[in-house]
Amino acid sequence: MEMSGLKNRRILIVDDEQTLLDLVISVFQNDGYQNIAAAKSVGEAVRLAKEFSPELAVLDVMLPDGNGFSLMERLRQDGDYPVLFLTARGEEEDKFRGFGLGADDYVVKPFLPRELLYRVAAILRRTYREEKTVVPLKNSVIDFSRAEVIRDGEHIPLTAKEHALLSALWRGAGRIVTIDALCEAAWGDNPFGYENSLMAHICRIREKIEANPSSPVSLVTVKGLGYKLLVEDK
Amino acid sequence: MKSVPKLIRRFVGLLLLSFILLVIVNILIFAVIVSRQMANARPWKTAEEVAAALTETENGVLLSDEGAETLRLSGAWAILIDNDTKAVVWHSDNLPKSVPAGYTLSDIAGLTRGYIDGYPTFTSGTESGLVVLGFPKTSFWKHMWPSWDYQLIAHAPQIALVVVIANVAVILLIYMAASTKLLRSVKPIANAIRALPSGDPVYIRETGLLSEIAFHINSTSEVLQTQKRQLQKRETARASWIAGVSHDIRTPLSTVMGYADQLQAAPGLTEEERHKAEIILKQSERIGKLVSDLNLASRLEYNMQPVRLREENAVALVRQAAADFANADPDGKYPIRWETDEKLLVCRVNADGELLRRAVANLLQNSAVHNEDGCTIYVSVEKNGESCVIHVEDDGIGASDEQIAKLNSAPHSMACDETAAEPRHGLGLLIVRQIADSHHGTAVVGRSRYGGFAAAITLECN
Repeated sequence: MEMSGLKNRRILIVDDEQTLLDLVISVFQNDGYQNIAAAKSVGEAVRLAKEFSPELAVLDVMLPDGNGFSLMERLRQDGDYPVLFLTARGEEEDKFRGFGLGADDYVVKPFLPRELLYRVAAILRRTYREEKTVVPLKNSVIDFSRAEVIRDGEHIPLTAKEHALLSALWRGAGRIVTIDALCEAAWGDNPFGYENSLMAHICRIREKIEANPSSPVSLVTVKGLGYKLLVEDK
Repeated sequence: MKSVPKLIRRFVGLLLLSFILLVIVNILIFAVIVSRQMANARPWKTAEEVAAALTETENGVLLSDEGAETLRLSGAWAILIDNDTKAVVWHSDNLPKSVPAGYTLSDIAGLTRGYIDGYPTFTSGTESGLVVLGFPKTSFWKHMWPSWDYQLIAHAPQIALVVVIANVAVILLIYMAASTKLLRSVKPIANAIRALPSGDPVYIRETGLLSEIAFHINSTSEVLQTQKRQLQKRETARASWIAGVSHDIRTPLSTVMGYADQLQAAPGLTEEERHKAEIILKQSERIGKLVSDLNLASRLEYNMQPVRLREENAVALVRQAAADFANADPDGKYPIRWETDEKLLVCRVNADGELLRRAVANLLQNSAVHNEDGCTIYVSVEKNGESCVIHVEDDGIGASDEQIAKLNSAPHSMACDETAAEPRHGLGLLIVRQIADSHHGTAVVGRSRYGGFAAAITLECN
């Protein structure tokens, strides 16, 4: 999946702490993001958003002239773009409030810069997925928009379940996605009893994406826990 | 407090029993007296005996010696009134002078049921006349109208029974009324005393006989409520303070971690400098976790952390926690071995998913913190009858028996009282135990069969 498109997205960062603001900006810039705007207050953020038209906002909750929750609501009046809260308020009530208002993610300080980057990239991929449909693997390429795998020039179609499973694995690319989470992605909210079906689907996916399905290199098993999708540009 | 009504019932019951016993004793005494009163027939018998002892001879009427002895023993005088002449034809030697020597029929009718000159008289007929015995004046009282309603006498046993039953019923009614009234006034007091330890406010009306006790109970409740409010206020202030401090630390710590992370990856750094940046990052992460643990522990302790119980699959929760841990350990320094029976895919428990995941994460983190050189962590979920047991074990350095005993016996609270001589460590384990407590479960630590440390959280299965 092409990352360069994502890095061109306009990101608005709002935090009243100058040092933290500088850090977050540098984290994004070092990762290749080019369009970043920063504000230190609600008023400044609202003004800036009108000129900048952000495609993603990273908001602190506690701001000198208001709070991030109400800021999100005001920003959403001008444009429906994803919002990630980056805040020191880690209590469940705050998280639930943020998610309840429609936030796309909630990161509690202190945070690891890499984690923030992963989460922002995941939101951008989900939101602006039309541009990002091709995922290169070691021996093949997944094209999500066409629901197919291209291996050695051959186009192999994916079933709906395989597509759902690969999407879930791609969202957590490089990380273990548990058996339960995969079953939920493929079979919905009551995914008990599908573990054997999951194994069968994983085998079929491997036959499509791996050069040697019995020694997988892109879709690896983590015994007892789940599976991990290893992509080439990660 | 159920003993109060019981006590009252017993007391009033005793009273009732006393009443019944009293009635029985009275009946017995009455029976004895009545039986003794059978002696009332004695003067009539004496009169009959004397009459029988009189014989008419040529020399007149004679009283046998036996008859004379009977008369002497009874202390009475005797006369024989002739049937035809109505005159006294014989009398005993001790006849008072005031006793007339002749009688009319009405005199005879009168003396039969009454007296002669104050002497109670008793009669008995003979062939020739009527024998009249006169006893000393104060020896007998005679009923002048000795007649009874026939029905009354005919139904005497039934009437007696009805009277006894009516008496018992009245006593029972008195018992019920007394007991109910007493219980009614004692009940609110007993209920109030029972409610006091629960900490809920208590108020009872200060009226009636027990108003003073009611007043003191109300005062006690007010004092307890005031103390409770003050304690809650203090606890909330403490938890809020900890929350505030942890909040204030988070932002600067983010900056430290962020720049340390960038520094670590910066080109041109020597290996030693890179290592130092790595240490800053790791230690900052540790401070971050500590701050987060401290905040959660204080919220759990002061009941500020909502525990939202719902049906969860413990296997999925533990697996997610293990996967999260493995994902945060890209170098594989702490490999996870999933030891759950392959057949156990679902183990339903009532749990706050987020908190239970946090407990397992803390146990995993605990293994990592105490084994800096790395170790294998064994994670499993086991269904043991009605219990769900979550095991987190490692093959690391473990802990001594003394340390394990200390950890297992440490109080489940942040407070260090006089029994805890050393300041407490292991906030992570404290949280695990607090979370287990909030789920009505247990958390114990021990030695692992793999050589290191072991911890088990036991919850009730659904």
